[in-house]
Amino acid sequence: MPYYPEVATIQGLVRVIRERRLPSEAVPRPTHTISNAPVEAMQVILEGDVYREFRIIDVGAALKARRKENVADMIEVDAGQQVQFGHELARRGRGRRARVLHSPADGLIVLAEDRRIILQVSERAIEIQAKIPGQVQEVEPHLVRIAGSGALIQCAWGNGGFCYEAFRFLPEEGFVKLSKLDVSISEYRQMVIISPYPINKGDLLVAQQQEVAGVVAPSMSSDLREFAMGLKFPVILTEGFGQRRPTTLIYTLLQSNMGRQAAFNAAAPDRWSWERPEIMIPLPTGGSTPPTPALDQALQVGAQVRMTRAPWDGLTGEVVELPPAPQVIESGLRLPCARVQLADGQARLIPLANIEVVG
Amino acid sequence: MGFENINSVLVADIGSVQTRLVLIDLVEGQYRLVSSSRARTTVEPPLANVSLGLEHAAQAMTERIGRQLLSPEPDQVFMIPEAGGHGVDEFLATSSAGRPMKVFLVGLTPEISLLSGKRVLAGSYVTVTNTLSPDDRRTEEEQINAILQDDPDLILIVGGTDDGADDILLELVRIVRTALSLVMHGMVPSVLFAGNQALRKQVRNLLAPLTSVFFAKNVRPSLEDEQLFPAQIELALVYDDYRSRSTGGFSEVGRQSQVGVVPTTQGYISAIRYLGELPQKGVGPLYVDVGSANSVVVAGVHKEPHYNIRTDLGVGHHIVQTMETITLDKLRRWLPFEIDDEALWDYAHNKQLHPATVPGTPEDLMIEQALAREIVRLVVDEARPAWGLGEGDLLPDFRPVVGAGAILTETQHPGMAAMLLLDALQPTGITDLYLDPHNLLSALGVIAYLKPLITVQALDAGGLVNLGPAFSPLGRVRYGRDAIKVRIQHPNGQVFNHVVKGGEIWMAPVLPGVTADVRIRLRRGLSINGKQRLRMKLTAGAAGFIFDARGRPLAMPRQKDRAERFQQWLLAMTGRDAGPSVAGAGTVTEDAGVMDDDLELELPADMEEETAHALLS
Repeated sequence: MPYYPEVATIQGLVRVIRERRLPSEAVPRPTHTISNAPVEAMQVILEGDVYREFRIIDVGAALKARRKENVADMIEVDAGQQVQFGHELARRGRGRRARVLHSPADGLIVLAEDRRIILQVSERAIEIQAKIPGQVQEVEPHLVRIAGSGALIQCAWGNGGFCYEAFRFLPEEGFVKLSKLDVSISEYRQMVIISPYPINKGDLLVAQQQEVAGVVAPSMSSDLREFAMGLKFPVILTEGFGQRRPTTLIYTLLQSNMGRQAAFNAAAPDRWSWERPEIMIPLPTGGSTPPTPALDQALQVGAQVRMTRAPWDGLTGEVVELPPAPQVIESGLRLPCARVQLADGQARLIPLANIEVVG
Repeated sequence: MGFENINSVLVADIGSVQTRLVLIDLVEGQYRLVSSSRARTTVEPPLANVSLGLEHAAQAMTERIGRQLLSPEPDQVFMIPEAGGHGVDEFLATSSAGRPMKVFLVGLTPEISLLSGKRVLAGSYVTVTNTLSPDDRRTEEEQINAILQDDPDLILIVGGTDDGADDILLELVRIVRTALSLVMHGMVPSVLFAGNQALRKQVRNLLAPLTSVFFAKNVRPSLEDEQLFPAQIELALVYDDYRSRSTGGFSEVGRQSQVGVVPTTQGYISAIRYLGELPQKGVGPLYVDVGSANSVVVAGVHKEPHYNIRTDLGVGHHIVQTMETITLDKLRRWLPFEIDDEALWDYAHNKQLHPATVPGTPEDLMIEQALAREIVRLVVDEARPAWGLGEGDLLPDFRPVVGAGAILTETQHPGMAAMLLLDALQPTGITDLYLDPHNLLSALGVIAYLKPLITVQALDAGGLVNLGPAFSPLGRVRYGRDAIKVRIQHPNGQVFNHVVKGGEIWMAPVLPGVTADVRIRLRRGLSINGKQRLRMKLTAGAAGFIFDARGRPLAMPRQKDRAERFQQWLLAMTGRDAGPSVAGAGTVTEDAGVMDDDLELELPADMEEETAHALLS
């Protein structure tokens, strides 16, 4: 019976296609991004404004207009017009005795009629970066699609940060060694630090003090989420929370590309978002187009998989058998399983639900 | 095809984690559950198209039964109607997946109309963002911001008795109109009006130019009457409309179904309404579903369905919120091993990262089963006032009790599933326990709207898993003292005698489907339906017969005894304990458990009915 597992891409060279979107509530600004143009990872490709609160402005009262006066004629803005703080909205009279109503905030005029103006206040401006270097494929008001090539490592959690920097591994002595370095001459400054061991709060403080560009580690305590979210540099967890073993495949891939620049997108978890935390290392393709990871394929014997739950979490292996009937696993549950040969040569029964294909 | 002429129905339930398919077909003149299958739900990015998961589940079913279901036509998902043994006559869909619908509620009075409005919404996957009523002291500007600030998907307007005062409600509708007229980007919320019916035309004139307006009968036609059903039905249509406008591919699925995509809970409610109409003992049926993102309890109390949905409680997508809500101390009451707070939180956050995964170790399974117990307890506690119960009152005599959701239906052993239900609900008396592993009740509930005969026959044909009857005496027990003396006589004359001690639970090893003569005698202070001796013929379920002598209210072991006691319960309910002695007919092997052969048993007054019911089940 076919089973379609989740896919986590951990590949040395793939074609990466990513859609960057403005949030649905944002009003897009005119974009300068054009199709087929090359983009850098840090380049802003979409801009927009989010409008929230409405202000109802009684124009007649503000301008002290008499009841008989036609206030609508005093209004100088139209619905749909964007205004800045202090922009003239309405005027009564002329010369020095004129009364002028100014906009109390940046925003969008949504209604201008009779005796009132309704202004929707601009809450924030949004800039969306490409987050991978590549070529623009498609541009829409709310969306830009980009394609690039390189190594791709999809991870478990991110603190919302992003950077495009070179990376290197933590010294053998760990963050303790790092803490003793002189920041001004440290070779780790403005580099992304790869730690193959779980990290703690002290490690993150050292990273902050050493002005690193980012941190990648297998895991940390879930208690540190809030703290990590407050850091200015990206923090990416490849496995999850607690003391998790690192996926060897990931760290080997990073090791083999050490010193290169890479896009570290520590996208915060959101089940409805199209972004997930990932590391993309741009690589030359030699003129050919590498394959795009398949997202929806049935699990088959021979597939490379990673286990996502204890007791085998973080281990990778190859599917050697797909038993037709459910099997009893260590927890006592009887579930559809795959027999997976791990790196140590042992074949283990793993529930299909706890497997993701290394796409 | 008219629904009266159909033979086969394929029903999909698209949950947050699993997409389940059930095929009901006419077999030898009776509608039966013919096959079921499931696949991973594909509602979230990067796939963001529920049709894919549906197709995977259909492929799995085809592989199992050799019946082609998927259509080769590009604009049609399924082969409809059935022809040459392939395809189906009808396809229906329910769903609890996707983002809950955000609803802004407008009403005249907080105590009456807003309360009724909330009851209408309680049957669907919604989040109430805010409310508005005439006694609202906010300025017009603040009210408009309140309406729009959370981008509601729906504005539900209730209030006013039919032909009653209308000016105040119309004023609220005008505020809604102003708010809707200001929406310049994003989706304009739909409106469902279920208030004073005399205002329909004015409401349509005011709001229809701005958005989709749905109408339902007044939830409060008079101050004394409350009618929620018409508004719930209309809400189901609004939900379908919302789903089809949202991302996730629901529109394509909805187009294949005659009734669109119905909220799963609406299916449950309809099924419970139907079950409540059947002649049976007790106050009515009880259905509990613990999902990954939502948890639901639907109870038929004296033929009236009551329901409660928590869109923030579940053992997968919402496990972190669930643990925050129920607190770790309550969770630990069900854990026979030591685990610190940090490890529990790490567990929850990891599970939330991979909500579709299943426990791989016994400890992980215990954590999730502990959560399931507490979720059911919490949702049932919240539903109690609607059932007429106060705090601390024991659960009424619900029959049957049905559990759904993978955490309840996929356990190490059927006995464990039974124990989870008993722990969470703590019923008293004799409770018929069932599981619904395919979410069949939701499917049959939707079908009941269209062709009730299918619902009747498919339920009779045993679409649910019968766990068996559970005996839970009322009263406090003393640990280790004799509590229930049990004598079970098989049809072949074989006899079991067993004494269930205080603090124990025992699963009598009787094969499913075997009808046996069961006699029990309770120690002083314990009773079932006011009796201390009972004799009846009962049919065993997948968990045989269950005897719960842990007391009601359930006496939880002290912390120092917890590990040992849980281990005993676990062994007893997973069938790995020593069990009772099996003796030939007429022989007795356990002195303490001897039930005098000449014992005069007090039979409950309703004994015959009880036996009949048990045999039917």
